[in-house]
Amino acid sequence: MKEIFYYLVFPGFAFSITAGILASWVERKLTARLQWRVGPPILQPLYDIAKLFTKENVIPKNAQIVTFFLAPLLSFAAVLLVSTMVGSAQFLKGGFRGDIIAVVYLLAIPSLCLILGGAASSNPLASFGAAREMKLILSYELIFWTAIAVTWIKTGGLLKLSEIISFQQSGKYILFSPSGFIAFLLAITTMQAKLGRVPFDVAEAETEILAGPYIEYSGPLLGFFKMSQYILLVALPFFLCEIFMGGVNILKYFIMLLLVVLIENTNPRLKITQFLWFSWIILFPIGIIAIILALAGL
Amino acid sequence: MEFMKAKIEEKLKGRIVKWEEKNPKRHYIEIKKDDLRETTEFLFRKLGLRFCIATGIDNIKNMEVIYHFSDDKTGVIYSFRVFTERDGGEIPTISDIIKGAKWIEREIHELLGINFPGNEDLSRLLLDPSWPKGVFPLRKDYEYGRKEELPKSVCSMPTIGAKTGGKDRTIIPIGPYHPLQEEPEFFELEVFGEKVVKVNINLGYNHRGIEKISEGKHWDQVTFLVERICGICSTSHPFAYVLAVEDLLGLEIPERAKYIRSVIGEIERIHSHLLWLGLAGHFLGYNTVWMWAWKYREPVLDLAEQISGNRNHYAMMKIGGVRRDILNSEIDGMKEKLNSIVSALKMFQGAVQDDPIIKARTKNVGTLSRQDAIYYCVIGPTARPSGITMDIRKIDIKNSAYGLVDWNVIATENGDVYDKVVCRILEMFESVKIINQCFDRLKTLKEGEICEEVREIPKGEGIGRYEAPRGEVWHYVRSDGGNTPVRHKIRAPSYMNVASNEVAAAGGTVSDAAITLAAVDPCYCCTERMQAVENGKLKYDWQELIKMSQEKTKKMKGRK
Repeated sequence: MKEIFYYLVFPGFAFSITAGILASWVERKLTARLQWRVGPPILQPLYDIAKLFTKENVIPKNAQIVTFFLAPLLSFAAVLLVSTMVGSAQFLKGGFRGDIIAVVYLLAIPSLCLILGGAASSNPLASFGAAREMKLILSYELIFWTAIAVTWIKTGGLLKLSEIISFQQSGKYILFSPSGFIAFLLAITTMQAKLGRVPFDVAEAETEILAGPYIEYSGPLLGFFKMSQYILLVALPFFLCEIFMGGVNILKYFIMLLLVVLIENTNPRLKITQFLWFSWIILFPIGIIAIILALAGL
Repeated sequence: MEFMKAKIEEKLKGRIVKWEEKNPKRHYIEIKKDDLRETTEFLFRKLGLRFCIATGIDNIKNMEVIYHFSDDKTGVIYSFRVFTERDGGEIPTISDIIKGAKWIEREIHELLGINFPGNEDLSRLLLDPSWPKGVFPLRKDYEYGRKEELPKSVCSMPTIGAKTGGKDRTIIPIGPYHPLQEEPEFFELEVFGEKVVKVNINLGYNHRGIEKISEGKHWDQVTFLVERICGICSTSHPFAYVLAVEDLLGLEIPERAKYIRSVIGEIERIHSHLLWLGLAGHFLGYNTVWMWAWKYREPVLDLAEQISGNRNHYAMMKIGGVRRDILNSEIDGMKEKLNSIVSALKMFQGAVQDDPIIKARTKNVGTLSRQDAIYYCVIGPTARPSGITMDIRKIDIKNSAYGLVDWNVIATENGDVYDKVVCRILEMFESVKIINQCFDRLKTLKEGEICEEVREIPKGEGIGRYEAPRGEVWHYVRSDGGNTPVRHKIRAPSYMNVASNEVAAAGGTVSDAAITLAAVDPCYCCTERMQAVENGKLKYDWQELIKMSQEKTKKMKGRK
């Protein structure tokens, strides 16, 4: 019973979707103000979701119906689980068990679902987007792992999120060590890609392939994808705060969100080949250096 | 000038039916149609003249096609006249010599029914596939205002994939509805993985028959009609049209009108380039640039509103001069507003030159080589980045102030998207320079002398051209002494530029194609203001908004 409460109310669905809607509003408002626009009212993301759930589901003629249906639901379920794990590590000391390996695995699922959904929708633009998303995962996933590995080394092999938080609360913040700082920067970069934000939004690229994998999605199914994105916008910065800054508070979270928005609004979109090159030739060696530094105790 | 003329005369010795020199810059030469290919080859390959466009005319007793060639060093236009029979008329193709002539031959074929043996692709360009066969809307026996009955169910999509070459190729459609092209154009990208192998271009979704409409309007009404061709080039078309009529008349307009014309033309250029810059940012996923460029475009539009009362359709041009004066007392205030955007332009220049990601996305992307630029006869900011230093404002300057002020043509070497961005940004600085000088001169001239009176348009023909923000706009008019044009040929710059995407976008990736297709700045239209709704209730209706707009204009006019 307790677990279901965690999963559905706090820190699972109810809490994270509320936070996600607020975060999404903050993001959109900040973006608007940066671009000399007025921006949406505070409940706009909620209206978006509500609207999508009253609309018809249109399924393309040649789509693989089961995969097409399951992809958004699976993505949503995985993201909820992440937010529950990450949230309970912070708010309920050890209430819901989860370690970083599980979180990192679950964080890959939304991208995989996007690939599945795109490939199942029998649209050339969607399969284009799916192919790009695949290349994106190939580019950033390993970098993400190296960044996490630095924390693992620095904490002496701790895997449980709640333990990592309490380890750092004694004053040894990972972020303030040289290796931790580098790892944090790498994690920020991959977070941007995982969230599908500029400059790494190649898979969606509205002006090139019209939102890519999402193109055939409509109504509630698109709503589930949207909700996963909102929740991810909370869960992912939470996770990074926990492993690099020893826990979340409003200020830390807001700084992370601000970083996302600033990066998004001061860059054009990269090409997929450029991002591959960027991650493997530049980011990956930096990640290795960070690990070596961490092993050396720096 | 004389040198070129002598060379043509020598080459075509004995074969020139008639050489008519209307004025030193306009030559009309009648030749036999069998000599056309040889002449074209000589003019285009040997003399390096640029093919502007061909005009097809139905003379009822026969068909006439005029091939216009421009000498871009001196601004002289040599127009070669060819006649053929009305029914089943044939003229040898020149599209294998000049790639830029492909589309116009297709257009003349479908609108006038002239055949071009040798041109392999004479499929429809502008008309809908459901248009009945053998009906030629631009012929004189097609009554003005006549409508064709359309079949009940029509598939007006061109057959996709029919032309696809090998297997393993996918077609990525850009258009007819696509966030990249807000106007209906249809680019079929044949892709192999991410790589674009071939680009097929389909046009005609927005064909409004303006050339035909123009034949039913009074000379003065046509200025307003051609203004509606495009919301962004809304002063370039009337500018070129009045220049064409003035060329027909041999008229010189008052000096003050020349300055006012150039001021309006340059204001249009700045706002058009800023619009493009914003859109280019958007296409690259850089929405901040989009919004910022459009914000800094506002003072420019305010200037236009202050002068003409409108943000986009200025209605300033008139045969013989301009319609409205600029008050000398307002000039200082306007200059201040104009110069306020210079710092913003510098910021954009810096942003483009310093941002590594913008460079990575645009350098060596969508390159149009100098050779291809010549073959496709591209113009304006699509040609200049490829190293062709050609600007109509430098060579055909009658009845505008460009010869009276000091400014430079911007040209770069590489022909890629980056150069196109840089070229447009630098051009805006030149435009600011031109407007400032025009304003200074205007202050020394007496107010009110802005128009020559024109009563009759005699029999004759005239060519007017102007450097629009996207390149040379071309207007040809012919009069039989009546009160409407007999023929009015319009060639917008994108007509030549868009075709060059065939080479510029092929070979890159889909991401590259998106920005390359947009880099020729195909025309977008935005005209109306909005209705304001707050909390589900109509806050201001249409009438009130018009009133508010008028008050805003008045307020601006009152400000020094």
